[in-house]
Amino acid sequence: MKRLLSTLTIAATMVLGAPAMAADYPTKSVSMVVPFSAGGGNDTFVRALQPLLEKQLGQDLVIRNIAGGGGAVGTSRVAASKPDGYTMLAASNAMLTLEAMGNVAFTHDDFDFIAKVIEEPYVIAVGDNKKYKDLKSLIEASKQGKRLRVGVSGVGSSAHIAAVAMQNRTGADFNIIPYPGGSETISAAMGNHVDAVVLGGSELRSALESGRLTALAMTYAERSDSLPDVPTFQEEGYDLTLTVWRGIAAPKGIPEEVEQQWVKAIKQIVADGSYEKTAENLGTQLAPLYGDELDSFIDQSADVMREAAGDLAK
Amino acid sequence: MISGYLDGLGMVLQFGTLLAIAGGTLLGIIMGALPGLTSAMAVALLLPVTFGMPPVMGIGMMLGALCGAGASGSIPAILLNIPGTPSSVATTFDGFPMAKKGEAGRALGLSIVASFLGGIASMVILSLLAPPIADFALRFGAAEYFSLSVFGLVIIASVAGKSLLKGLIAGLLGFFVSIIGTDPITGVDRFTFGELSLLTGVNLLPALIGLFAVSQVLKDAFEYDPHQRLKDSGHRIDVARPRFLETLKHWRALLVGILSGSIVGPVPGAGGSIASLVAYDQARRFSRHPEKFGTGHAPGIVSVESANNALLGGALIPTLALGIPGEAATAVLLGGLMIQGVTPGPMLFDDQSGIVHGIFLAYLVANIFMLLIMCLGIKLFIRVLMVPRKQLLSAILVLCFIGVYGVDGDVFNLYLMLGFGILGYFLNRYGFGTAPVILGLILGPIAESNLRRGLQAFEGDWTPFFTRPISLTFLVIAAGLLVLTLWQNYRANRVPVQASKEGANP
Repeated sequence: MKRLLSTLTIAATMVLGAPAMAADYPTKSVSMVVPFSAGGGNDTFVRALQPLLEKQLGQDLVIRNIAGGGGAVGTSRVAASKPDGYTMLAASNAMLTLEAMGNVAFTHDDFDFIAKVIEEPYVIAVGDNKKYKDLKSLIEASKQGKRLRVGVSGVGSSAHIAAVAMQNRTGADFNIIPYPGGSETISAAMGNHVDAVVLGGSELRSALESGRLTALAMTYAERSDSLPDVPTFQEEGYDLTLTVWRGIAAPKGIPEEVEQQWVKAIKQIVADGSYEKTAENLGTQLAPLYGDELDSFIDQSADVMREAAGDLAK
Repeated sequence: MISGYLDGLGMVLQFGTLLAIAGGTLLGIIMGALPGLTSAMAVALLLPVTFGMPPVMGIGMMLGALCGAGASGSIPAILLNIPGTPSSVATTFDGFPMAKKGEAGRALGLSIVASFLGGIASMVILSLLAPPIADFALRFGAAEYFSLSVFGLVIIASVAGKSLLKGLIAGLLGFFVSIIGTDPITGVDRFTFGELSLLTGVNLLPALIGLFAVSQVLKDAFEYDPHQRLKDSGHRIDVARPRFLETLKHWRALLVGILSGSIVGPVPGAGGSIASLVAYDQARRFSRHPEKFGTGHAPGIVSVESANNALLGGALIPTLALGIPGEAATAVLLGGLMIQGVTPGPMLFDDQSGIVHGIFLAYLVANIFMLLIMCLGIKLFIRVLMVPRKQLLSAILVLCFIGVYGVDGDVFNLYLMLGFGILGYFLNRYGFGTAPVILGLILGPIAESNLRRGLQAFEGDWTPFFTRPISLTFLVIAAGLLVLTLWQNYRANRVPVQASKEGANP
């Protein structure tokens, strides 16, 4: 009897198991790979989202920091893992930068993008706001023959590429100096060791709020609520739109049901409104995007990155 | 000011907050004591837990983890000669020899009290002088960082062991390893051989654990004699108690430690790992008995451990006053602060809401909890040495693997760790030492990238390295210390017979 029962149980599990896998998703904890070490923008974004996602999905979300290679190691790992919805990636435009620089084997086509959750602009900021009151005076100074020292975080990083794009579109002469990370870049600007910095808005948030640095322009298409006084490059007459985005991706080919579960969960979190305040505290803003719209957004960002990275290589 | 502290006191002295700080401290102590697990990991683990808490409670919990991990790194360093973090490398120099003499309890007692006093002193400095110190740290540009790293290189002379030449060779080896990875200025890959994990260079933690822990396990395993397993370990439990008076007796070493931690700690990106080495170096140089350092000399332990916890307060200065974290652990903490809606910066200090004062007091309370927990645990820690060698060695190796894998979740780091372990075994065997390798590995990237960054910023002009006042000061001190070292070496070589006799018959 006992044996019969166990046989039946096994048979039932086998029969029900296969289709149930996607529909009952998730049945075990989900690992979320952050391709950077703890403490970076990507890590903080996901850790703040973690309790909310766990509530929506009804399972534990295990955050794994697989750092190394500027995000290359963790991202490659996810690209190579099974598309069953139990390995997800905290994605950002850093992966597009890696792709554009050509050091990695993956492309953005190796992933299914589930959602873009938050975004922030690239901001060009200065420490000395008397000398450089606005973008115009900065570019003017450069055209007078002064080579502007511009600090960016990390060689070949997305901020580096953004700085190159700014130089190309404005025609200014930048002496781009890479620092190892955002905090070193900001302190160099505060100490006037560089004339300007190009960084993501969230990294610059506290420096801008304290008045130590002054933002001259940012790369959104329109002004943002988080930095209402900062003009866009478009307003200043330069055709330049770039955003730093963060979201969730999975290896290519995850079941449709799983993707829908995730989209539903994130839509619910966005609707609840509790994450909005967190995103704002982090200096970013909620900018959710899903499905086909997201895919075309990713393709377009990848093109911009590739173009700017090509200039970098020259 | 007073009302700010009263408000802060009201936030800290609540049952829930105290419990959170104590819990954070305990977690930090456990993580810090296990080789390979770092304070940054402890803080990252706590981050989601703190979201629902009021700011001072959540931040207090994370500060507790920082403080606990800062102090407990000395436990494996003293008992097993294995530093859990880069900042406790210098603890092994005198802590382990003292433990070998059977006085592990005394070494722990000294290190606990020195950590506590270092932490308290840095909290006072933090609360009084944070904005001006933060402004001073901002004056560090590429030239200053470069000169600081040159100054740091002179430390190799102090940690080199018997032969200065061998120490320098080991230091250069560390320097060489540090150039692996993406070029920091031009982005070209150097010696990566297509390995993705090497793109960002050799990770410090696998190198550290390999050079110190794995090499030590290898050494013990080779020397292990199964017939001697019943030999009395010779460790005295009765000496294991906190050493308040003895620590205070070495007030000079304590002061050197606190000053080094508070001055070098706030420099973003450079301070964390070298502050305790600087403290050891200075304590040794200005001691009346420099020859006793490295043989289980109490001031050696006191200077390093007080620097270790003083540098935490130091690292909090730019984090709170400028929003610039110095290293990984404070970077995670900064993320926690921002999620809580607390924006670091000068405004935080002008703000009368009491939050910043609450943070200071929470840090103070965390230090007190650290002292209490460590004092209660001291007799327990020492029992590690009662574990039979055979079991202990395998347990350490398992912990090394867990810790190093935990950093980045990257298997490649495990191979790196084993490679460095074998390298470390041979370096120790032939008298080169492993500490200079770590020093080269830490200082190499700072020296190289800032030299090149400086040359780029000054448009190829090298004179600013010698004309900027802070930069020049460091270079002059470095040159002075170098001459002093060479002179001491020269003098020591002139009377070698007498010195070796004294060394042989203690």
